[in-house]
Amino acid sequence: MNESQHLSSQFDDELSRLRTHVLQMGGLVETQVSAAIEAYTTGEVASVKTIVETDRKVNELEKAIDDDCAHIIAKRQPTASDLRLVLGISKIVTDLERAGDEAKKIAKGVRRIYENGHLPGQYGVGIRHLAEAALAMVRQALDAFARLDTPQAADVIRADTDVDAEFKSIIRQLITHMMEDPRTITTSIDIIWIARAIERIGDHAKNISEQVVYVVEGRDIRHTKEKVQ
Amino acid sequence: MSSQIVNALVLILLSAGIAIPVGHFVVPWAGWAVFCAGLGLQMLFNFRNFARLDRWSQHPVVDASLEGEGAWDGIFGRLYRHEKELRDQIAERDDQIDRLFAALQALTDGVVALDLNQNIVYCNTTAEAQLGVAMERDRGQPIVNLVRQPEFVAYLSAGEFERPLTLRTDRGSDRVLSIFVIPYAGNRRLMQIKDVTQTDRLDRMRRDFVANVSHELRTPLTVLAGFLETLQEIDLDYDDRKRYLNMMAEQSKRMETIVQDLLTLSSIESAPPPENDLVDMTSLVDKLRRDGEALSAGRHQVVADTDGIFDLRGSEPELVSAFGNLVANAVRYTPAGGTVRIEWKATPQGAEFAVEDTGIGIDAKHIPRLTERFYRVDRGRSRDAGGTGLGLAIVKHSLNRHQAQLDIKSTPGVGSRFAARFPASRIARV
Repeated sequence: MNESQHLSSQFDDELSRLRTHVLQMGGLVETQVSAAIEAYTTGEVASVKTIVETDRKVNELEKAIDDDCAHIIAKRQPTASDLRLVLGISKIVTDLERAGDEAKKIAKGVRRIYENGHLPGQYGVGIRHLAEAALAMVRQALDAFARLDTPQAADVIRADTDVDAEFKSIIRQLITHMMEDPRTITTSIDIIWIARAIERIGDHAKNISEQVVYVVEGRDIRHTKEKVQ
Repeated sequence: MSSQIVNALVLILLSAGIAIPVGHFVVPWAGWAVFCAGLGLQMLFNFRNFARLDRWSQHPVVDASLEGEGAWDGIFGRLYRHEKELRDQIAERDDQIDRLFAALQALTDGVVALDLNQNIVYCNTTAEAQLGVAMERDRGQPIVNLVRQPEFVAYLSAGEFERPLTLRTDRGSDRVLSIFVIPYAGNRRLMQIKDVTQTDRLDRMRRDFVANVSHELRTPLTVLAGFLETLQEIDLDYDDRKRYLNMMAEQSKRMETIVQDLLTLSSIESAPPPENDLVDMTSLVDKLRRDGEALSAGRHQVVADTDGIFDLRGSEPELVSAFGNLVANAVRYTPAGGTVRIEWKATPQGAEFAVEDTGIGIDAKHIPRLTERFYRVDRGRSRDAGGTGLGLAIVKHSLNRHQAQLDIKSTPGVGSRFAARFPASRIARV
């Protein structure tokens, strides 16, 4: 593990508390995403309001954690793996906050679809499948961060390709559908937005995993073709 | 101890005994030399044993060949026995601890022990599966880092554990857990986790059942009451009266069907095992096909396919009603122009009666609940189609009484297949 002993055990406590806060924020985002998907499949628009309200809490957590990071850097002047952990965390929270925003977008899209009275029909299954894959990515990325487990982070990065491919196939399907019956265009566009938001959630999970690799190994694998493990 | 001192003294006296005559009769320095040599030899002897003890104490092993010389032997012997006893005690403790952990592992409930900072100290395999943690990898990790659901985190930090927390996990499978937190050894926490998925499901089914019965009966009752009021208060001409009375008759018929189905269901549940009539499946399948065609009124193609090798043993009226229900459902939920296919085929385990359609299909998430009473995939639609919501519940019960399994496969927009699988004991060669 990363937790080497410091002379000041208070510093260790601060770092471990910071990590727990990040994971708490992650838990909130996971719940947001799964609630948004639940709303999509069940059509229970009432939960949309809760999702939008909880997003505010996620935003506040992002600010609080960023503040903690700044404090630790100023007060403790961390080096090596501690510095990487703090830097990684400040990037991870940005991705988490954006994933939370995407969940909010999904919820709002669901409300639009159901308020217009159109049901997603045969897209229910495809979208749910895509969402489950993206949600699993977020969960695994956070697990990888909790355990500082690079092989799992690598799994998440690889899984992103599948989610992207599935997203593209849903879009192709929707395009055919819209060409056949132009009356479905409004709903189809809403579904495209939702699929897009889910795909973005997958991307954020991938970014988080890249930060985990950076925190543990000190390698920056963003925007490279470098193979992970 | 005393024997060692005596030993040492004897040796000193011995060297002195040799040294004094030598010093007296030869030269004095030779006497001293002999005395020093005697003492030196004794020191060498002691030092050799001391070195052996030193070596052993660095890597203590239980080794019977470890022996001292002379007075040292006693010390080595006691150390050997002490070490051996200690090791036996440790082995016994280890054994006890292992048995304790094995007992914890054997519990069907999940158990997680947390330390003062809510880090994982121990968890059994049940808890590992329930929470998606792994004991080896996650020991020392704060539990909230891995079980991140906000309600769990809030529950654990609030510290009010009178009521268990009901938590829905979404790791792997969708399960409902009931988590009890028990403080122990000061401020440490022990979590006991029960899987209540089944109880939760039964509770929901019971609630849904009562709500559904009331709802299903109230709807026609409201219509009836409305018409009655109209008839009481307004003088209507003959035609209107006739029309209203017809509608009332329709609604009361509907209530009667629901009550009839409920009674059928409860009588099937409490009835003795079905008799063992031999049911002629070739003619039954043919009858089902004709009934299906009549219900379809030419809008569907109804095909029968039977290999005619086996007949079925069971209660004919129950089986006819169950199979008829499956065929009627297929016709109802298949758009005009579709195909309904009735099959009776031998399988490796026995035989299978199946109805396959090219209808609207059922979303996978509804399939496990289809045979619940009054469960409807699409509320408006199935009531319009004339169902009471009890059909599949009756089918499932009838089939269970014949040791048959109902297997449902469906793809939305493509079609469904309802298959009743009978065991070999229920079939007879024609």
